[in-house]
Amino acid sequence: MVPLSAYLFLSAVLFSLGLYGALARKNAIAILLGVELMLNAVNINLVSFWRYGETAQMAGQVFAVIVFAVAAAEVAVGLALIINIYRRRNNINADEIDLMKW
Amino acid sequence: MDFISTHLLTSILFFPVLAALAILFFPKEQLRLIRWTALIASLVPFVLSLMLWGRFDASAAGFQSVEQYPWYDAIHSSFHVGVDGLSLTMVMLTTLLTPLAILASFGVTDRVKAYMILFLLLETGMLGVFMAVDLLIFFVFWEVGLVPMYFLINQWGSANRNYASLKFMIYTMGGSLGLLLAIQMLGVTFQTYDLVALYERWNAFNPATFLGMPIETVKTIAFWAFVIAFAIKVPVWPFHTWLPDAHTEAPTAGSMLLAGVLLKLGAYGFLRLVLPLYPAQAAQYAGWLAFLAVMAIIFGALGAYGQNDFKRLVAYSSVNHMGFVLLGVAAAAKVAGTADATIALNGAVFQMFNHGLSAAGMFFLVGVIYERAHTRDLDKLGGLFPIVPVYGGILLFTSMASLGLPGMSGFVSEFLVVRGAWASMPVFAALAMLGLLMTGAYILKAIKKVLHGPLNEHWAQGEHKLTDISAREVMVIAPLMALTLILGIWPAWLLDVVNKAMSMLF
Amino acid sequence: MATETLIWLLPLPPLLAFFLIVLFTNKSKTLSHSLAIGAALLSFLGSMLVFARALATPEFGREVFASSINWIPTGDTFLKIGVLIDPLSAIVLFFVAITVLMIFIYSVGYHNYGQPAGDHDRAGLQPHGATVTDESGHKRMVLSVEPMYSRFFAFIGLFAFGMYTLVVSDSLLTLFVGWEIMGLCSYLLIGFWYGKPSARAAAIKAFMTTRVGDVFMLLGIAFLYSATGTLTYREIFTQQTLQALASTPTGIFGLSAAGLIALLLFIGTVGKSAQWPLHIWLPDAMEGPTPVSAMIHAATMVSAGVYTVIRMFPLLTADFTGHGLTATMSVIAFIGTFTAIFAATIALAQRDIKKVLAYSTISQLGFMLAAIGMGAYIAAVFHLVTHAFFKALLFLGSGSVIHGMEHGVFHTGNHHLDPQDMFNMGGLKNKMPITFWTFLIGGFSLAGFPLLTAGFWSKDEILADAFAHGHWAILITLAIAALMTAFYTMRQITLTFLGEPRTKEAEHAQETPWTMTLPLAALAVFAVGFGWLGIPEHFPGLGGLLPNWIHEFVGGTLAERPEVLAFSWIPLLTSLVVALGGLLLGWAVYKNVEAGQPDPLEKPLGFLYPFLQNKWYFDEFYQYFVVQPVIWFSEVFSSQWLDKLVIDGALHFIGRSALAIGDVFRNKFDKPVINEFIGDGTATVFQKAGHELRLLQTGRIQNYMISAVALMIVLGAILIYVLA
Repeated sequence: MVPLSAYLFLSAVLFSLGLYGALARKNAIAILLGVELMLNAVNINLVSFWRYGETAQMAGQVFAVIVFAVAAAEVAVGLALIINIYRRRNNINADEIDLMKW
Repeated sequence: MDFISTHLLTSILFFPVLAALAILFFPKEQLRLIRWTALIASLVPFVLSLMLWGRFDASAAGFQSVEQYPWYDAIHSSFHVGVDGLSLTMVMLTTLLTPLAILASFGVTDRVKAYMILFLLLETGMLGVFMAVDLLIFFVFWEVGLVPMYFLINQWGSANRNYASLKFMIYTMGGSLGLLLAIQMLGVTFQTYDLVALYERWNAFNPATFLGMPIETVKTIAFWAFVIAFAIKVPVWPFHTWLPDAHTEAPTAGSMLLAGVLLKLGAYGFLRLVLPLYPAQAAQYAGWLAFLAVMAIIFGALGAYGQNDFKRLVAYSSVNHMGFVLLGVAAAAKVAGTADATIALNGAVFQMFNHGLSAAGMFFLVGVIYERAHTRDLDKLGGLFPIVPVYGGILLFTSMASLGLPGMSGFVSEFLVVRGAWASMPVFAALAMLGLLMTGAYILKAIKKVLHGPLNEHWAQGEHKLTDISAREVMVIAPLMALTLILGIWPAWLLDVVNKAMSMLF
Repeated sequence: MATETLIWLLPLPPLLAFFLIVLFTNKSKTLSHSLAIGAALLSFLGSMLVFARALATPEFGREVFASSINWIPTGDTFLKIGVLIDPLSAIVLFFVAITVLMIFIYSVGYHNYGQPAGDHDRAGLQPHGATVTDESGHKRMVLSVEPMYSRFFAFIGLFAFGMYTLVVSDSLLTLFVGWEIMGLCSYLLIGFWYGKPSARAAAIKAFMTTRVGDVFMLLGIAFLYSATGTLTYREIFTQQTLQALASTPTGIFGLSAAGLIALLLFIGTVGKSAQWPLHIWLPDAMEGPTPVSAMIHAATMVSAGVYTVIRMFPLLTADFTGHGLTATMSVIAFIGTFTAIFAATIALAQRDIKKVLAYSTISQLGFMLAAIGMGAYIAAVFHLVTHAFFKALLFLGSGSVIHGMEHGVFHTGNHHLDPQDMFNMGGLKNKMPITFWTFLIGGFSLAGFPLLTAGFWSKDEILADAFAHGHWAILITLAIAALMTAFYTMRQITLTFLGEPRTKEAEHAQETPWTMTLPLAALAVFAVGFGWLGIPEHFPGLGGLLPNWIHEFVGGTLAERPEVLAFSWIPLLTSLVVALGGLLLGWAVYKNVEAGQPDPLEKPLGFLYPFLQNKWYFDEFYQYFVVQPVIWFSEVFSSQWLDKLVIDGALHFIGRSALAIGDVFRNKFDKPVINEFIGDGTATVFQKAGHELRLLQTGRIQNYMISAVALMIVLGAILIYVLA
């Protein structure tokens, strides 16, 4: 049986990729993709801890389902925002979207 | 009807407020409606107080027509009102003078609505002080009366009104600070503000020390706190200088009530609170009170003589006349319980009533001439008798009432005061005579400078021609004149009530 | 009607007339004077009825008419007022009623009733005459009717009320009421022509001067009231009360309570009866119409003063043992005597016909008070009554003369002539015979023309009393005063009536109407006849022919009837010599005065003449030493310095101090500490910090994320470190 550590390793790799993508990419959609990656890494974590812990308790699976829902909503809102910005500025470069500065 | 007879005092007290509320909703252009409503509304308390007079039993001790409602239970203050012979006299005076003052101000055209409302509120304020049997209620009404007067002077006064109204307000309020403190002390100590209870308990209260001081010291300080508050209101020399200013600036009807009733509040305070609550201190400091009273009599008269403004002259005469009230109080304080004290107090209370009549009359007459000539400068008047003969006759009569001519009520009261004072403090009584002499001088000066002398062409013809006093104005002054004369010839009907009250109170 | 009820009603008709005239009939002259005279007549008839009943009562001194009611409640007792007619008030009532009625009637003529209204007359000034056109078309000036005719009758009505009240009252309080009402009326009447500044000033002077006395009197009343608990004469004048008063020391000048009270009351009299040093108002009171002078000087007001002292005689003599006058009595005697001679000297040098009479009044009142001071009760009463008659007569007569002269003035049109100056008159005897003869009677009575006139008998009695009790100083002084009296009276008569007219106006003077001469004639009867009622029993020849009624009747007022004096020639001779001598001398000096000639006395008297003419400069003295200082004291000291500077200064100081303290707090604490340091300071710090820190706010989302991650790593590290 595959040990828990393998899942955790996979999850860590996925999270790091997502984090890198979210921090390093300029494209706003790419940042959004990075965030999705991080969320899914968290999901893997949750599900694997459930599987290796008390299987009678459904908390891990329930959390994962909630994260799906939140992620979906987030992507919807995030994409809507990005499209709006794109329409106004013809640009989705995160470096240049700095309207909220001082 | 049943409600009124069981709630007679509160009806008298609050009817003016209700009327004021009603007037609040009248359109402000309806001058006639507002004036007549105010007049009739102020006549109602007068009629009711006649009822009160009718059912008053002079020989019964204590307060009558008492009403008591819970008011501020947490600090043991209740809405407790009642009248005895002393307050009944003052209530009558107030309810009599207010309609006359309102009738006198029918000539006012500036913001009539607000003016009349203030007058009605003022009436309630004054009545409340006279009716209160609870110290806190007393104080509340004491301050309530100030506010309408302040606005009357400040809004309807003449040139220097800001200074005068501020002086009036600040001075009186400053004086009542000590009063409030002393009242609080009594209330906290005895867990009640009820006068009847306090009369007994405070006098029986004799621990060796109180608040860390000997009880004597505490009582003395509280005594002076009361005295100063009332002395400012009376006003007693040397606290009198707000009076000429306030009077000179106030509108005519305001002066009438200021002199007629508001000054009596101070004197009433002496009789209602100072003498019963502090008999020992009052006796101890009677000499000082008498000294202040005599100074008021003398310097009031001298001050009056020194004025060149008709209204200021009359204002100073109030200081002079109210000095006699305090002299009576002081004399009574010194020998409380004797026949001499009763005579002095009779004189003092009667003098309060009489001064209410004559001073209101004098101020009204000053107003009458001011309304026509637009000046009160005595040097500019003069020689008016042939131009305004009816006014002249009335002025002569009222001046003589103010002078205390025998046959008019002022004489009876001044005589009683002097008589009462002579027994215990002959020197002060004798000194008061100096003031009485000067009273003659300033009254004659006023007549000389207004009526007598060569015909004043300036006022006799052309645009400045003065018109004689009108029928409405005669209506205002006639009741005052009639009462002065009736009380001068047959004072017993009023003095009897006062006398019994004074005999039982002290 | 019961006599007591009648007495209560006596003062009322004139009062009623006053109110009716003032309120209703003031437009109608006829109605007004009818009302006033009708009222005076009613009171007169009532008085005579009371007087007749008093005469008919045997032992009237003990069985007086009295009644009283409770007036003011004073504790458990009452202050009573009431009426009392005893012999003293009965006799005063008698002369008051007569003179008042006569004066009322006289006023009708004096104020030119029935004459046309004046051309330029107006209220407040004397009438200046009217122009009438007779049948032939000639225009001429005649006297015009007084514009304030009704008002005059209203005032004298009130005056009469005051006097009646004073006389019938049974207590000092009501006496004082009447007293002051008369004071008011005298003020109103002296200032009747208020348009004249001089009349206005005289009115105020009269009121104020008498008020000086009045306040002392009020003190005396208060003292008496508190000492005895009553003000009713009959309760005060009991043996017990008087003795208690006499034995109470007061510590003031060593006087007993009785003495001090009497002295205080006497000061009231000094004011009212115009005695030195409060005499100054009376001569100025001549500014009023002449009937007023008569009212004030003869019938009523000044008599009231003397009446009061006479009334208080038992109190005055309560500590009098019969040997040596008490301090109070000495004061009274001194002031009376001094005033008698002092005023007589001034009268010598006056030119105004009414002023002479004014000073003579002061002097005669001095005689009465001197008599009272000596304890000569009856003599004082006697002289009071006779003086009232002959002085009223003289004043009315002088009014008649002035009236006649005014006729002359209108005839010639010379309005600058003073119709009251005696040196403008002369020879009026033929023009105004009734006035002359009555004036002569009055004058002789005043001078004390022997045997015939009333003045002789009463004045003689005073001198006899002084002699009998050995008061030599008083006797001599009064005798000299009497000499002067006779002299100036004759001077007046001679200058006015005898010789040739000295001016055109005097030539055209005219007798006055019957309304004026009738009262003169009536009063003349009493000025002569009344004296015969008091001829001493032991007078040689005449004594005993008529009973000495005055002594019998008036003496009954006192508890102990005064003893009858033994007769002596010395005072009688003195009286004879001074009266006749003075009259002769006066006639001799003045019989040949020509028009424009100065007073023959001017030369021989030298510097004394202006001194006398200016009344010993008392007016000036008071002006500089009393009136001006008082005015300064009230206008400058009291009003300006004390009230405005000191008291208001103190108030403003407190007010300003409060403001200053407020300012200090505002400027030194509130503004710098609270506002700037704490308030603004905090804000500034945060503002600056924010300014610096806002650079962190790049707006780039990835920057924020990096810092979030970094922070998380740091926090995680710390957490691990802590947990481990």
